[in-house]
Amino acid sequence: MSTALAPATTAAVALRQVTKTHPHGVRALDDVTVEVPRGSFLAVMGPSGSGKSTLLQVAAGLDTPTSGEVLLDGTAIGGLDETRRTELRRDRIGFVFQAYNLLPALTVAENITLPLRLAGKSLDRAWVQYLVDRVGLGDRLDHRPAELSGGQQQRAAIARALVARPAVVFADEPTGALDLHSAAEVLDLLRDLVDDLGQTVVLVTHDPAAAARAHRALVMADGRVVDTLDHPAAADLAGRLVALREG
Amino acid sequence: MFALALRLARTRLTASLAVLVAVLGGAAIVTGTGVLAESGLRSHLPVDRLAGAEVVVSADQTVQPSADLAVALPERGSVPAALADELAQLPGVQSVVPDVSFPAAVLDPAGDVVATTDPVTAGHGWSSVGLLDDPAVTGTPPTGPREVAVDTEMAAAAGVAPGDPVRVVLAGRTSDARVTAVVPAGAGVLVADDRAAQLAGQAGTVDLIGLQVDGDAEAVADAVGPLLPAGTIVSTGDARGDVALPEAAAARSLLVVLAGSLMGVPLLIVGFVVAGALAVSIGGQRRELALLRAVGTTPRQLRRLVAGQATVVAAVALVPGIAVGYLLAGQFRRLLVHVGVLPDALPLTVGPLPALAAAALLLGVVQVAARGAAWRTSREPVTQLLADSRTGPRTPSPGRHRAGLLLIAAAVPLSVPPLLVQSPIGAASTSLAGIVAAIGLALAGPLLLRRVTGGLARRLPAGTSAPAWLAVANLHGYALRSAGAVTTLAMAVVVALTYTFAQTTVIDATAEQTRAGTVADATITAPGLGGIPAGLVDDVQAVPGVEAVAPVSSTTVLWPMRLLGEEELSAGPALVLPPAGAGVLDLDVRDGDLADLTGATVAVGSGAAGARDVGVGDQVQLTLGDGAAVEARVVAVYGRELGFGSVVLSADLAAGHTTGGLADSLLVRTDGDPATDRALAGLTDRPGVTVSGGGVAGDRPAAPPEVWINLAVIGVLLGYLLLGIANALVAATAQRRGEIATLRLTGTTPRQVRTMMRREAALVSGAAVAAGVLVSAVPLALLGLGFLDRPWPSGPGWLLPATALVVIGIAFLAIELPTRSALRSPPADALASQG
Repeated sequence: MSTALAPATTAAVALRQVTKTHPHGVRALDDVTVEVPRGSFLAVMGPSGSGKSTLLQVAAGLDTPTSGEVLLDGTAIGGLDETRRTELRRDRIGFVFQAYNLLPALTVAENITLPLRLAGKSLDRAWVQYLVDRVGLGDRLDHRPAELSGGQQQRAAIARALVARPAVVFADEPTGALDLHSAAEVLDLLRDLVDDLGQTVVLVTHDPAAAARAHRALVMADGRVVDTLDHPAAADLAGRLVALREG
Repeated sequence: MFALALRLARTRLTASLAVLVAVLGGAAIVTGTGVLAESGLRSHLPVDRLAGAEVVVSADQTVQPSADLAVALPERGSVPAALADELAQLPGVQSVVPDVSFPAAVLDPAGDVVATTDPVTAGHGWSSVGLLDDPAVTGTPPTGPREVAVDTEMAAAAGVAPGDPVRVVLAGRTSDARVTAVVPAGAGVLVADDRAAQLAGQAGTVDLIGLQVDGDAEAVADAVGPLLPAGTIVSTGDARGDVALPEAAAARSLLVVLAGSLMGVPLLIVGFVVAGALAVSIGGQRRELALLRAVGTTPRQLRRLVAGQATVVAAVALVPGIAVGYLLAGQFRRLLVHVGVLPDALPLTVGPLPALAAAALLLGVVQVAARGAAWRTSREPVTQLLADSRTGPRTPSPGRHRAGLLLIAAAVPLSVPPLLVQSPIGAASTSLAGIVAAIGLALAGPLLLRRVTGGLARRLPAGTSAPAWLAVANLHGYALRSAGAVTTLAMAVVVALTYTFAQTTVIDATAEQTRAGTVADATITAPGLGGIPAGLVDDVQAVPGVEAVAPVSSTTVLWPMRLLGEEELSAGPALVLPPAGAGVLDLDVRDGDLADLTGATVAVGSGAAGARDVGVGDQVQLTLGDGAAVEARVVAVYGRELGFGSVVLSADLAAGHTTGGLADSLLVRTDGDPATDRALAGLTDRPGVTVSGGGVAGDRPAAPPEVWINLAVIGVLLGYLLLGIANALVAATAQRRGEIATLRLTGTTPRQVRTMMRREAALVSGAAVAAGVLVSAVPLALLGLGFLDRPWPSGPGWLLPATALVVIGIAFLAIELPTRSALRSPPADALASQG
């Protein structure tokens, strides 16, 4: 399976000295610099309110930074209007959310191929078939999301995130609503995609076990990156989080 | 529970607002109608001319059917004159004033008629000054045939004072007289008592007897009661106003009839709009409700909570709504006065009853509708609910679909009456049939829409843009939600088409029958004189070139009918025609001959005759406009019932049973020679006489007044309906923030979202117009066949395009504005706030 990606010289996502201040003066991101190399799996951890969700939204172009620069697949997203940012997201980013966010009115197949349809791109049937088989929903394509289990819905959302061959997939607490077994399945799937397809994945989570599947984990607190661990072990991560809470 | 309900209502502001507006408008409509009904039952005309007589004895001007509301009669009845002497003997009675009336008018020095409010009954005997509150008389009583007294208003207008000569027209005869006295305003033209009895043509009877009493009027009235013969009543206080002018009092009972006929359709629409708004509001809270169920709220408690929440909102809306209702009733009274069906003097009764009725009715509707809307959510297993509330669309139930199809089918027999009865009542069933079908459409809509959009989705060409494809997919996937929008808009189309066309078709069919049936080419009237003056018929007949002339009047007749084993009694208009009438009117006689209208005879419309199974030669029992029961022989059956009414009385039969006794108009057929027309026009140099081209039978308007009133009502109703629909649509669209945010996160540009929503608006409004037209087609076709012998109705051609434009405009605005607002917030925030 050919999964030609852009040359590895530029990072898939880069945040340079990014600060995000909310209207009430809360500093959600405080001078954050992060680089996500292509083909890597990055986990962002931290307690609630640490700024990890803001990091994801700014990095994905869903929100604009108060200061600093965000490069998405080599393109600076500052100064783009909402439509251009949407188009950039559509072309370069895949999203996976805690609440799946599939469109209830569409079938599984229609949900998965929606990004292509919206971009006016032709359907690469072999690629879609590969994805569908990969997430194990080959026999569920004509069902509506309501007829699937949570794990199945999240796997459909992952296939949708990948269908446009994005530069990076952002996953925001993708296992938050799943039981242990389904959560493990989803996390394994994400890691396999990184290993097999060289897909860049950014995972935001508070679960050390989930973060342990990543190549690298950032630990955030009060809008800053306070720790970086390569090939983290769940136990180490849990220790860091506990330390943060006590400190 | 109440505090929780309040908080829930506040969190869904847009939806609560829709419920608020629906209840507010509904309360206004119900209260307004209620005020009209209460006024019809309880309002009294001002006592005016009878203010000086504390107790009044008069003929009972109402007919009481066995189980229905009393029917008020417009023509003056009479009481035996001998009763006056008997009443004078009663203790407490100071004086007794018998009163008669006759048509009277005063001419000013230029020979023009001095305008008065009611010339038909302006003439009275001198003793009637005793009825006045303020018997301030300047001058001496008139005696003999050449003396009159006039009231101050007339005296001022004619420029006369006691002692001056004046020309008067009394009971249709012009004469010169001398003014002996000026009496207070409103007293009319007074002559010596014996002459008044002569002019009124009443021997041994009077119109009414006024009693001036010492002390307690009620006590005297109680004493009077046992002395009265049957068909005679005694009135005191405000009730005296009703017996002064029977015609005006009869118009009052029209208010009750009107309120009754108004109630049906508006109530259906109020229920429809309120239920629609509540369905949207409760639909938007399914997630909260599911969570409430999950934490242990029982189905019953949940329904109570939802109903409580709706009741809070409704209660807030009721107060302004009821206030608006009272204002609306005032406006409506002005309209009724303007079209001439209600005397200006009749005030509205403003009491608390309509407000209480509106509050009870709307709170009832809200409770039922809210519980109904929450029924499914309250009954389903909690796990199912939580899954559903996250993923949205539900499958429409087949039972609901079948009930809807049944209602649509039931509309067909409901559309049939116009084929059988060509009357406004027959036409009214057309709009009812349309609305019933539209309600059926609302029930069957989701499944129908799912099928249609399913077919559409399969047939979409490969190159269809993503927004258009999404629009179809949304309508299909959210069939329940989309059908709500389609069917409410379709309801607006149905109401606009069936209600308006039913009225305009009756108007046009009536006008056509009147036109086709009138072979006269000139009409002569003398409204200022209280009727056609004596001798004018002979003078017109003598004009060379006049081929036929006939005096024509309109009156009221009650013709009982057995309907479903019960006696139906409703007053209907009737023409009064002499045998010569056959020469000026072509009533499309099917059997018999109008020339036989002499003695106790009538001609009847074929529809009315068929319903009562009578024909030429049969005897029928009628109650005339003054309450007299008569038996008459049918001498003709005619077809043009809509244009001329169901009954034609012979002039002989009606004589003595109409107020004033003079004919309303003369219909004249000429040889068409301009010289004849000139000669006829020359008659206008007689005082008070007007000649107009063409013929109008009696003073009948082109269409019954209720038709015009209905047209006014539809304006109010449509405005309410459209407002309710727009609100519900805005609320429903505002609830799609989460869906829009998800689309944007999936890569839909704001522009694509807007395009998708516009496509949806186009599909929704297109489907609504198509469904509305389809559902209205059968009732309107049958209406056309019944009234015009062609399978389409008559009315303004712009109605359909205008309705379609309004519906499309509302759909676009109500979807576009909330969409724009949803697009303004960042998609991630929108999703986060969805919970």
